[in-house]
Amino acid sequence: LSFFRLGPGAGQDVGRSCILVSIAGKNVMLDCGMHMGYNDDRRFPDFSYITQNGRLTDFLDCVIISHFHLDHCGALPYFSEMVGYDGPIYMTHPTKAICPILLEDYRKITVDKKGETNFFTSQMIKDCMKKVVAVHLHQTVQVDEELEIKAYYAGHVLGAAMFQIKAGCESVVYTGDYNMTPDRHLGAAWIDKCRPDLLISESTYATTIRDSKRCRERDFLKKVHETVERGGKVLIPVFALGRAQELCILLETFWERMNLKAPIYFSTGLTEKANHYYKLFITWTNQKIRKTFVQRNMFEFKHIKAFDRAFADNPGPMVVFATPGMLHAGQSLQIFRKWAGNEKNMVIMPGYCVQGTVGHKILSGQRKLEMEGRQILEVKMQVEYMSFSAHADAKGIMQLIRQAEPRNVLLVHGEAKKMEFLKQKIEQEFHVNCYMPANGETTTIFTNPSIPVDISLGLLKRETAIGLLPDVKKPKLMHGTLIMKDNSFRLVSPEQALKELGLAEHQLRFTCRVHIQDPRKEHETVLRVYNHLKGVLKDYSVQHLPDGSITVESILIQATAHSEDQGTKVLLVSWTYQDEELGSYLTSLLKKGLPQGTS
Amino acid sequence: MTRECALLLPRVCAALADPRQPGSDDTCLEKLLDWFRSLTAFDPTVKLLQDNPCLTEFITAILALPEPSPSILSFTLRLAGILAASENRFQHLQQEKLLVRLFGRDGPLNSAVWEDASVRSGWVEGVHSMMHHQPALHFLCDGGGIDAIFTLQGDPSLFVASAASQLLVHMLTFSVESETTKPLSTKDCDWPACAQMIIKHIEDSLQSSSASHIEQSLKLLTSLFGNCHATWTEVLWLGISKQIESFLTEETVQAQHMLANLLLKMAWSPVFCDTEGSFWALVTSALEHLTPMQAGPLAVGILRLYKCPQDVRIQALTVLLQPMDCILRAASQPLEYAGLLDESVSDPITVESLLSSKSSCASLLCQTLAHLEELLSLIHLPVDLPYTSLLRSLMTILQFCNGFLSPASPLGSTISQILINCFRVQRSALDVLAALSERKGCDTLMGSLFDVLLAYLESPNTSPTVLKKTFQATSKWLVRLQELSCSNNQWQQTEKILEDVFLVLQKHLCSPCWEVRDSSLEFLTVLIECLRDQDEFRQSLLSSEVPRLTENLLEDPESYVRASAVTAVGHLAFITCFAPESPVTGNQYNKENTVAKLQEILSTDSEGFPRRAVISIFTKWLRQGCTGQLEDTEQFVSRVIQTVEHDLDWEVRLGGLELVEVFCSQAICQLGLPKCPHAPVSSAVTSSIHQNESLQILCRAKLFSFLFRSLCDCDKPVGQRACDILLGLRGDFCPISTLKDSQGTGDSPAGHGIAWLQRTLRQGSLAQNFPTDGGNGVDFQNPESMMLALCTVDLEELHDELNKSSDHVEKSPQSLLQDILATVGTIEENEADCY
Repeated sequence: LSFFRLGPGAGQDVGRSCILVSIAGKNVMLDCGMHMGYNDDRRFPDFSYITQNGRLTDFLDCVIISHFHLDHCGALPYFSEMVGYDGPIYMTHPTKAICPILLEDYRKITVDKKGETNFFTSQMIKDCMKKVVAVHLHQTVQVDEELEIKAYYAGHVLGAAMFQIKAGCESVVYTGDYNMTPDRHLGAAWIDKCRPDLLISESTYATTIRDSKRCRERDFLKKVHETVERGGKVLIPVFALGRAQELCILLETFWERMNLKAPIYFSTGLTEKANHYYKLFITWTNQKIRKTFVQRNMFEFKHIKAFDRAFADNPGPMVVFATPGMLHAGQSLQIFRKWAGNEKNMVIMPGYCVQGTVGHKILSGQRKLEMEGRQILEVKMQVEYMSFSAHADAKGIMQLIRQAEPRNVLLVHGEAKKMEFLKQKIEQEFHVNCYMPANGETTTIFTNPSIPVDISLGLLKRETAIGLLPDVKKPKLMHGTLIMKDNSFRLVSPEQALKELGLAEHQLRFTCRVHIQDPRKEHETVLRVYNHLKGVLKDYSVQHLPDGSITVESILIQATAHSEDQGTKVLLVSWTYQDEELGSYLTSLLKKGLPQGTS
Repeated sequence: MTRECALLLPRVCAALADPRQPGSDDTCLEKLLDWFRSLTAFDPTVKLLQDNPCLTEFITAILALPEPSPSILSFTLRLAGILAASENRFQHLQQEKLLVRLFGRDGPLNSAVWEDASVRSGWVEGVHSMMHHQPALHFLCDGGGIDAIFTLQGDPSLFVASAASQLLVHMLTFSVESETTKPLSTKDCDWPACAQMIIKHIEDSLQSSSASHIEQSLKLLTSLFGNCHATWTEVLWLGISKQIESFLTEETVQAQHMLANLLLKMAWSPVFCDTEGSFWALVTSALEHLTPMQAGPLAVGILRLYKCPQDVRIQALTVLLQPMDCILRAASQPLEYAGLLDESVSDPITVESLLSSKSSCASLLCQTLAHLEELLSLIHLPVDLPYTSLLRSLMTILQFCNGFLSPASPLGSTISQILINCFRVQRSALDVLAALSERKGCDTLMGSLFDVLLAYLESPNTSPTVLKKTFQATSKWLVRLQELSCSNNQWQQTEKILEDVFLVLQKHLCSPCWEVRDSSLEFLTVLIECLRDQDEFRQSLLSSEVPRLTENLLEDPESYVRASAVTAVGHLAFITCFAPESPVTGNQYNKENTVAKLQEILSTDSEGFPRRAVISIFTKWLRQGCTGQLEDTEQFVSRVIQTVEHDLDWEVRLGGLELVEVFCSQAICQLGLPKCPHAPVSSAVTSSIHQNESLQILCRAKLFSFLFRSLCDCDKPVGQRACDILLGLRGDFCPISTLKDSQGTGDSPAGHGIAWLQRTLRQGSLAQNFPTDGGNGVDFQNPESMMLALCTVDLEELHDELNKSSDHVEKSPQSLLQDILATVGTIEENEADCY
């Protein structure tokens, strides 16, 4: 079992996920993310490291995408349509529905920025999505005869899943991003006690024990409310899907409760589609939403309306959700520039922003921004950062390990220092190996596979007939011939094996000479030996043959006089390997000599 | 470096060197290095270091830290390498003993931080960057650094290992090319010292018993022969060729797949492919000894070569065709076999055993098929392939896969059992089948080929991805069939096939799976594009239910499908509405109806794809002159523009501009400006009259308000396109002498209007609502006013402004430095929260 992670440079990095797992001869790529901090080739993983020989389509057995965030699926159309991977891609139904919206949204922003090269087109996104096989939760999907995968609920975002991958007798669980506590619209991650050989877990919040999300939500609502009350405008830059919907639910409920009148707008017309999917995949949300669904659909918003460009200049308070989420182009940036100069207004950044964006600048506290044409924009509006991301914290990660009981743990998607702390904790508490490889590093994990072997009924009957009655508590030794063919193992009787393989039988016999002091004639010695054995080996068939030899099962004993010393008889004992045990026992018995008085 | 950057740099360096700071984002450091690379690329002097002493101070400060963070140390190593890339700066840094302390024995190389992959990676990258002059080469070889690189070839991090290998290739090439004066030969071994060390290392590794050492050296050689085509590479090769040859026959060394790579790279190098004898003998031997899986890539690479001995080519072809031949043989009766290969050259036992094993059958076939596709995609193929037999073999594979063929021979029955329902092989085979349609000589099998394709199209077991490929292959072969029936008048067969295809298409247009509906529509569009001039095709299509079902899909719940339906309906219109002698007439295919339906989608569809599809179909119609006379077209364009100018999707607005551009050029062309080569009238006297007329048309169609408003669009590509169109119009309408500078508009009301327009345009996307009703003194429908606007507004300046990327300010080095400074101390909290 080996694991390999692709990323930029050689350190740990939160930027993008792309992992290669080789398990029982099968190669699976987990996630295919992009790094939004770059606008050249570095934004995509360097797939040439996956294999230097042959085509990716031949090398990889499948690609699995855990959820729709771009650091997990953003490079997928590039991989399938530009690099040329043509094999199967798996993701959950909601991910398959939502992924193209985000990819399209990001493509538009990227092309909009200009000067971007080597980026995929709309058609490529569609063609890529056509190759995707959607899976249900807990459905075992057979990728091929030897490889199967199964999705488990991961929380985090709509449709996010953890995947169990099984090949032969080895298994891996990849968590993707997950959340162990339910939030406003999603449930908590869950997995059964599947005892995988390896659990690959994200560790974004490896050392954090997070404060309650309720507090952050209250804080958010308070800030929005205060701003609107004093007549200010609130801008919330978002990506089309995900966090935006959660915040929409939050505001919608609050507006309803407080009977507020200030308008809330959502730009770009993407809400309809997004909300359509949230309605469609209602089973993926949490219980509360499902329960209330009967009376009122959470995603049918009464207060949130579509935004028109002209509204930005309207007087009075309003709240606007606008894309893109990092204020780096398009509508959100345009609105920001219009509103930035007024201290009554507020911008709330609900997510991380990469360097090189206006969002990054204002979050790092810069208040005088150079704009196009050497204009200086003074940011007087309030700037707030509010993280609503749903990752498992240290406690959650430990909880998942407790649930799944893996034999090894591997941490990804986090910072080295924080991961080191968690690694020690995991090793102490669970006594399993914990790895945290850098990007580009291969980790090899040895497993002790228990290999299933089919046994033929005939052999089973024969073997159980010999000896004691079967006892469940005591392991029983079986004798047979192991046939390894076409990746299967079968235990059959030697005769059947010979027949199947078309081989002739060769007998292997062990022989041994035992010297006995006995002056009597040879046939008398034989008779003494016979009587002795008959007395000792009551359960075996001991026979005295007409030619003067003795047999005990397959063992043959013949006696001759010593050529030089007539008082010494030589017993020739020979046995087959099946009776190895009995043969050795017999020889040692005869070596002790014959008891007096046996005649 | 700008003054602002020079002022910021010392503070940035201080911040980065401060161990109390939490450390910068990796992307910031990467971009900082990009900047230094661009600063040093064309300037070898020490000016940068002298003007910015903070750089050397920074390196010194990092070296003084007892425990520098791996990421900042890695950054420092890479920075030092970039700076030391020129000899002058190298000496400058050497004087301060900085390079020795960074890259020498006492540096990170022998400290605990070396455990961190990012430090090792930084070290290799740093060395690679500086390796552009001899002092650097000597510095490294004399200081023992080269042994570290040898070791790093086997690094646990693939990135480091690969970088180390690349570095050795670079050093070897650089050493030989910069340090030798006379041609090298094997006898006197007059290699420069550094090259000697590397070559000795290669030779030793090849002779070692360690598989990983052998593999590393083979990798290095592959990369060397792939990148360097100098004659000395042959001298190097002669020294090691015996050893490498032995790997082919020795079972103990598992490096066969690397050997194939190596030989392939060599075959492509002019140094080796021109040689007589020994090299090609080795290639032939490799093709014989390697397993079919290992030899495949080598074989296909050889077949792509134009310069290659004929016998090697035949050997390569044999490797490639053997599996296909084996398939044919497995499927045929003993006596009827007409295979791909001459039986005397083929030794099918290995291939047969691979094909009859479950674990290798599909892989071997997929690889072979991919290679065949690669060959067939070449326009000029250096070899002749037996196309008919190849096609027969492909059909057999496809029939094995769908269970339509289960031959009596033991091999055939084994293979067919393995292949049944194997999507991988189906996809690959269909790809080759599509590629094969371009080649002549397969015509006799046309009937049975379509039987196979139709079986795939009809089967409910065909997966959506396989179906898509089947559609692609079918469309290509239908085009071929059509060409063929034109030449031999076999209309009946063609008609029957088309009928069957449309029947099955009808079924797929109603599939519950959106992927299938969408692929079906795409298939239909391709067919119409290629075959719309053929009567039989048009008749078969129109007498089927396909057109009606296609129109129904305009209301599909899936937006991708709606968009494809729009495109298909748009193409159907070429047959139903716009054809000169439409085969079917009547209300069913009313032009107005179709236009109205698409218009409706353009104005009401909630998603961008269908709207984008409509606007691009409209443009296509306009280009092909389907929208009627100029007056009708004027109204049509005007209506469309008014719909799209407020569209939320900027690509729809951009599509609208494209429509405008086509219309403008047509209007101008039809009314005959002197510039237009197809103009009916071109005399100078009449031109100004016509000019006025065409300007009037453009004004009437309300194009100018759309164009000027677009200049202030918040999405740059829209503004840019509008600006390009306006510049074009100005070229058409305003003679150079009439161009005015913006101050020269005078005090007239029109002049005030233009001044307002100028001011508004300068605000760009920040402009308040852009009134186009003439309220500000600009009448966008008045030709004179527009003429004045065209001649006055500084479109060039706007053009330059719009051509800059929208984040060019944020991407600048100054902005990067400011960001690094600003993040110091604040980043910790936000960083982890990527999503």
